[in-house]
Amino acid sequence: MMEFDANTQLLIHWIPIVFGLILMSPLGKGLAMKMSSRWPSLETLRGRTIGGMLAVMFGGFTVSAHTLWIHNKANEMGSGNFCSSDGVWDCSSVIGNPEWNTMPFIGLPWGMVGMLAFALFMWLVISISKDPSASWVLTHIKLGTNFGVLGILMIFYLIYAEYEIGKLCQYCTTAHVSHVITTFGFFRLGSMYGTSDWGIGSVSTSSSEVDNSERKSRRGGYVAPVSSSEEE
Amino acid sequence: MQRRDISNEAGARADGLLMISVIFITAFTYIALTTSPVYTGIGVDDRAPELNGQVWDGAAWTDFSLYDNVDSMWVEGDGGTYYMIEFMDTNCSICVNAAKDKIPAQQAKWLTEGSSRSTPDNVSVEFLAVSISLWSEGDSGKTYGRDVIEKFRDDYNHQFPYMDDQDDSNKDDWGDFGTPTYFLVDPSGIIKYVNLDAAQGYSVWDAMEDIIPRGEQ
Repeated sequence: MMEFDANTQLLIHWIPIVFGLILMSPLGKGLAMKMSSRWPSLETLRGRTIGGMLAVMFGGFTVSAHTLWIHNKANEMGSGNFCSSDGVWDCSSVIGNPEWNTMPFIGLPWGMVGMLAFALFMWLVISISKDPSASWVLTHIKLGTNFGVLGILMIFYLIYAEYEIGKLCQYCTTAHVSHVITTFGFFRLGSMYGTSDWGIGSVSTSSSEVDNSERKSRRGGYVAPVSSSEEE
Repeated sequence: MQRRDISNEAGARADGLLMISVIFITAFTYIALTTSPVYTGIGVDDRAPELNGQVWDGAAWTDFSLYDNVDSMWVEGDGGTYYMIEFMDTNCSICVNAAKDKIPAQQAKWLTEGSSRSTPDNVSVEFLAVSISLWSEGDSGKTYGRDVIEKFRDDYNHQFPYMDDQDDSNKDDWGDFGTPTYFLVDPSGIIKYVNLDAAQGYSVWDAMEDIIPRGEQ
């Protein structure tokens, strides 16, 4: 069986990340149009942003899972060629470092933290993509943005860890890049929400939804059912 | 007619959760099936780091790998070999005293056929001395080299192999400790005793008595 070294394996994680980044950028419009017959939502800016974010987050999730795998292998074998070391880029020294390779206080390996974070982000965004006009969409965007900012603070801590160790971990850096792009995506969704860029079927476009919304605020959230004759 | 106000909003979130659960469980199952995250270290219940190098068995220098001699699938009750590993320096006076005073008796007890300490037929015990360098060759009165190891082994009539680790390549993986340091490694490669963690007065010889199973008398 053909075996790839760790740096070649890393490139596989970059494929969805780069694809997602292109899709989110203005360059991705043409690409999205070609795919819109299969996924019509890509015609809108919201659709392209969500599609790009999902690809980026999937890349972040897989690289985090790979990092956890390396963490376990480093514990199991002590050393090995499962993680390339080449000059300053040396993931073995970082992921295999018992002083820095788990989250302080909680003790979870960073790969597991990454998997949980990207799983949460993917759930938030998949839910939004499935029902972009739902009442909880803004809550999901805010949750994603806040967790994204929190994650960036953690990334600064991890960069400090790499500085202390004196090596850079290419797998961790890939997850960090993916996280930063994801956070940017949430900010973008936040600024788009409620505007025309949110697209067809966006927030409270129909008169009945406006009416429901007004009634909700007046009556503390409860919306009494209405008969179809009343609605008409 | 009253029409029910059906909400699909929960469905979108449940669908998303289901998809993410499938992805997460798949990834986690793969990791669980392909790795065994027992910590490799030099504490009790850690997996012993690899010990690789050439050993002098009294006749020739041959290659030795600890991992080639352990069975990670071993469980108690199976046959296998326990390793008593001593990290020592031929210039260290405590190591010299141990080599002269303690090891010959233990060697007779554990490595001699028909000795007083029995083990089950399928269980054996091996000693391995790992000769490291605490000093540099240039330091006054300190001599190193393979001939020194060979002479040391012969002087005390030791019957077990000595590994040449005078470049400290294995010691770097195992950790920075003084000599002599003793480890008892079970047949699966897990450290069962290290004098660095042991209670005062509880030696590797005591641990071997307690840990290595007895055979039928």
